[in-house]
Amino acid sequence: MITASRVTKTYGRTRAVDDLSFDVRPGVVTGFLGPNGSGKSTTMRMVMGLDRPDSGVVTIDGRRFGDLRWPLREVGALLEAKALHPGRTAYDHLLAMAQTNAVPKARVVEVLGLVGLESVARRRVGKYSLGMSQRLGIASALLGDPGVLLFDEPVNGLDPEGILWVRTLLQGLAGEGRTVFVSSHLMSEMALTATDLVVIGRGRLIAQTSVDDFIASNTVSTVLVRSPGAGELAVSLRAAGGGVVVRDDGGLLVTGLEVARVGDLAHAAGVALHELSPLQASLEEVFMELTSDMVDYHGHAPVEVGT
Amino acid sequence: MTTVSVPPVALPAFDRGRAGLVQQVRSEWTKLRSVRSTWISLAVIVVAGVGLSALVSSVEGGRWAQLGFADRAQFDPVRFSQTGEFLSQFVVGVLGALVVTSEYGTGSIRTTLSTTSRRTTVLAAKLIVIGAVVFVVSEVTAFASFFVGQAVLLAHGGRALPAGSTILDQIHSTSIPVVSITDAGALRAVFLCGVYLLLLTLLACAIGFVLRHTAGAISAFVGILLVLPLIVQILPTSLTHSFEKFLPSNLGLAMIVVTSRKTDFAGVLLTPWAAVGLLSLYAVVVIVLAAWLLVRRDA
Repeated sequence: MITASRVTKTYGRTRAVDDLSFDVRPGVVTGFLGPNGSGKSTTMRMVMGLDRPDSGVVTIDGRRFGDLRWPLREVGALLEAKALHPGRTAYDHLLAMAQTNAVPKARVVEVLGLVGLESVARRRVGKYSLGMSQRLGIASALLGDPGVLLFDEPVNGLDPEGILWVRTLLQGLAGEGRTVFVSSHLMSEMALTATDLVVIGRGRLIAQTSVDDFIASNTVSTVLVRSPGAGELAVSLRAAGGGVVVRDDGGLLVTGLEVARVGDLAHAAGVALHELSPLQASLEEVFMELTSDMVDYHGHAPVEVGT
Repeated sequence: MTTVSVPPVALPAFDRGRAGLVQQVRSEWTKLRSVRSTWISLAVIVVAGVGLSALVSSVEGGRWAQLGFADRAQFDPVRFSQTGEFLSQFVVGVLGALVVTSEYGTGSIRTTLSTTSRRTTVLAAKLIVIGAVVFVVSEVTAFASFFVGQAVLLAHGGRALPAGSTILDQIHSTSIPVVSITDAGALRAVFLCGVYLLLLTLLACAIGFVLRHTAGAISAFVGILLVLPLIVQILPTSLTHSFEKFLPSNLGLAMIVVTSRKTDFAGVLLTPWAAVGLLSLYAVVVIVLAAWLLVRRDA
């Protein structure tokens, strides 16, 4: 169980986390979703006692990080995969971590096997690929066999096989009754991995819900219409209460009206239709829409769906 | 594909005690011994120490007959055998700083700090481990350098001056003077060489925690040893005289000068043990600052 209660953290003039509260329950994978720069890593660092909240409290099983007596045995984290001394071997890196909490050497060997790094354990980690570093980071999180686990973007740099492996691993860990909190900026990845979601944007909570509810309540059905009389049709669709966005290619994206109603309105207006198709907004689009006003750095292609 | 099962390696129960200094010291030792730069630095201390001692003793021993009165008066067989210390003080500074700043540079400090809930334990463990390693190597080097230096002087016809000899006797001696470790001040001077390097290491390590950047920490350390004396030199003479004895580099000198033979240092340097005390005080002040910042700052 991880609990954040009204947590705020400011760096200089930037409010990274703003009055954020959420619970992460044991037994399921909880996705921590937000655009880059939305405060996910800051929140995870505060869970791990690395950054101190300006106000509010973060607890692990009811206790602050500073009150844990054997931290590695109670909470494991993969925060930055590449935060390693390049000249040290994976084995020595894990051994040094293990020794801080009296974890036996045999466990070091075991977690190396668990993540598939045993054959390169004696190699300097400076030579590791990002994917190998991610695996080492996962090994270090598992080292103390903790009941609470945090993973910050664990699938970065992994190949499809590695991504599938992480997904299975995370679900397996949750299945053992552990609290598993995984951040990602990819909604689609979380839809496959997580059961619960904590969604943030600009440091604020947008939603705490299950993945299923999140999708059901946020997916807006849209109708795509192409017509030679698009301008005329748009007027009557708007008059009927629909939202209409004209795409660059002349197509109309209609929200708030059923497909059949759009067809009827076209007929009533005497406008010919070249295309009439329902669109389901993808999860990624839902997520981007929800956080669109919360992204610090926009590209120049605004998302039109659902406007 | 790997599936997770109940771990076969049983971890000991952790309901008692806490992750503390003993565990952290073990971890810091693992970290220190598992990077190449540690062994290179320590090898430099030993090789530079003993090698330079042999070299300068040989050079000086070979030209004693040609030396003028002033050079003869200043000749100190103990200090000559510790010539390598000038180099080693920078090596231990880099070593002490890197133990901390390499972790900040790579970000692995966050791994270190997330395995303990008491950050001061990390500071203490780092000081203990790097301090112990540097102290042992420095003492071995200092004594080896001393004995090698005296052996080289003996090979060049060096002879011990009779007990009670003065500086005048040294100037008029036909053979280069040699000292025994049992001579007045010699044991203390050689021993304090290692102590000086130990205190500098602790100082550098604490500076590393304060500045958190390798280049910054090493620059600050070198600045204290090399630049600070230059600044003090350009002060008005009266101020220079009041301040220079408190400079860390001059405290080091005070520790290894054999006072019974002192010539040009009379009144300029503190006594050896006062120098140890003051340099320790400097180190403690920076360590306290480091601990305060470590606990307060975000990692």
